[in-house]
Amino acid sequence: MPYTAKTRRLRLLIGPDGRRFVAGLFLLIVILFGQQVYGVATASQRLDPSLRGATGPSNVIVVLDFMPERFHNERVAEYGTFAGRDGALNRLRLRFVSPDKLRALSRVSWISRIEPFK
Amino acid sequence: MTIANAPRAPARLPLPAGLSVAARQLSGVKILIPFVALVAVWWAIHAAGQFPERVLVSPARVWDTLVVLFSHGVLAEYISTSMSMIGIATAISLAIGVPIGFLVGSNRYAARGLEAFLRYLQGVSGIAWLPLVIIWFGFTHTTTLAVVIYTLVVPIIFNTMVGVRAVPEHYTLALRSLGASRMRLITDVYLPGALPSIVVGLRLGMGYGWRALIAAEMLVRQGGLGDLIFGARTSGQIDRIIGGMALIGALYIIVDRLLVQPLENLTIARWGVLRK
Amino acid sequence: MSVGTITAMSPTRRALGHLAWRLVPVAPFLIVLLIWIVLWDVFRPSQETLPPVRDVVLAIHELAVSGQLAQNVIASLGRLVLGSLLGIVTGVAAGFVVGLNRNAAEILNPLVVFFNAISGIVWLPLMITWIGIGTALAVFLIWNTVFFIVFQNTVLGVQLVPEVLEQGVRALGANRMETLRSVTLPGALPYILTGIRSGLGFGWRALIAAELVGAASGLGTMIFDAAEYHRSDIIISGCLIIGTIAIIMDRWLLLPIERRTVQRWGLVSDAEAGR
Repeated sequence: MPYTAKTRRLRLLIGPDGRRFVAGLFLLIVILFGQQVYGVATASQRLDPSLRGATGPSNVIVVLDFMPERFHNERVAEYGTFAGRDGALNRLRLRFVSPDKLRALSRVSWISRIEPFK
Repeated sequence: MTIANAPRAPARLPLPAGLSVAARQLSGVKILIPFVALVAVWWAIHAAGQFPERVLVSPARVWDTLVVLFSHGVLAEYISTSMSMIGIATAISLAIGVPIGFLVGSNRYAARGLEAFLRYLQGVSGIAWLPLVIIWFGFTHTTTLAVVIYTLVVPIIFNTMVGVRAVPEHYTLALRSLGASRMRLITDVYLPGALPSIVVGLRLGMGYGWRALIAAEMLVRQGGLGDLIFGARTSGQIDRIIGGMALIGALYIIVDRLLVQPLENLTIARWGVLRK
Repeated sequence: MSVGTITAMSPTRRALGHLAWRLVPVAPFLIVLLIWIVLWDVFRPSQETLPPVRDVVLAIHELAVSGQLAQNVIASLGRLVLGSLLGIVTGVAAGFVVGLNRNAAEILNPLVVFFNAISGIVWLPLMITWIGIGTALAVFLIWNTVFFIVFQNTVLGVQLVPEVLEQGVRALGANRMETLRSVTLPGALPYILTGIRSGLGFGWRALIAAELVGAASGLGTMIFDAAEYHRSDIIISGCLIIGTIAIIMDRWLLLPIERRTVQRWGLVSDAEAGR
């Protein structure tokens, strides 16, 4: 690449410092947002077919494939009204989940399934 | 520079030609060797002694815990809380610190006046103010942010002042004689001239700020890696504590070596002519 | 220096200029004091949000008279001295060992960088689990902070001693020990002293943070205990005292030591440059 004023910026970007910066940025983005991307990508598998296209508030059971800590209970409770467990500790009942919140809930990567609650 | 300060050329071991090429290719991996050795020693110590679980756990266990915590979404959120805190604090500190540094740096008296005050503030660590800030803002992110900004802003102001004062006067005089306005002077002379020093100050400040952040999170307990390791202490989860510490170190190194240091090198390469 | 100031000035004008130059550093403190007084008069915040200046002065006086101040300062300084001594001794020793051995320096560097990144307060939870709360904890945290700074500066200092000097002395028949004593040590000394001065400053700050989990006594403990009773006047007093001790320690104790010791060997360092 000829060394001119115009190519100087591009040269800096692909030089060792530029490469490191881009690598660092990429690494950070993956660490910070990787899970969210995964959650969005797998959202359709999470939500029970009967809950898709809901127009009003729904009552759901949030199923986790591990024993939840206080952290998880708190996060789940932000999406609706927490209504106790459904048999097991990893099945949480949520009432009055609006369609928007339901969509957001389906994108949470660490939730295993979202089932309807009769 | 005296004899004692003169740099000396590093000695190079003569290697056979093929080996030196291979060594260069492996240099990226070479960085990991000491860490591998450390983990091996750790593993050996744990395997040899009969340590109860609340005193020492094996490296494998710490790794498992980290993987589990990550898959449960806990780590991503705590890491992002800490990172956004340091990011916001850095942005605000720059927005406050650089203008102040410029304003004060250009005047000799003001610079001397502010310098002693800043030194004094540096002596009182942000953590010492934490109880007072908690009384003012409660156990919230605002408190954490205030303490980290306090820690970050002092080195930034200092280094901005140094950078501004290092700009040789004939540059400003030359531009002035060509009719440049105040604004032009700032953007074309002071800013580029002071930028290398500002970035150095930023890098220093972020080092202090990251540690202050962890300490503040330990007390404020509103999420973040400091909260994670301090909270794990009460439940005796050594695996989390060690894993959290490793993460804190690793994240700082990623941000410092991969983001801020290249930035520093680039600004110095571009505008570093004015550095003494 | 700009052209304007070299013109002829009357002696009074110059004397006043000198006086202004000496007094200017006090200005920001006075400004802050002024703002504090005005804020309090105008807004009358509650005792705990912002106590009036008078309360803080009274608190300091009370602490001094009751002996609490001396007790806490001595306790904190004691920990600082102990931890720093350990840190300096181990730091210089390790620094020499690693600095003289090029391979060791290269291999250990990533580890040093990593542990430097987590030095100090990050060890708190682990150390509380291992050695409990108390003086041992504070001393460890200070040692940790001081060690890495002194170590890195020592390594740098040792590595920067020009090889030609060492070779010269060796050629005259000195053995390893004598070379170290007469060339390497004085050569590395400016850096070591800078490291010590820096380390003590950081150590003092780390100490206050270390006392946040409640050691038995000390300035940090005093502040955090006062926080529980919402005694903001004590908190502010404590912070002011911490800052004052930091300045005294750095400007009037360490800086002169650094200057004088380095001067003896005719070397140049930051202290000489007035920093």
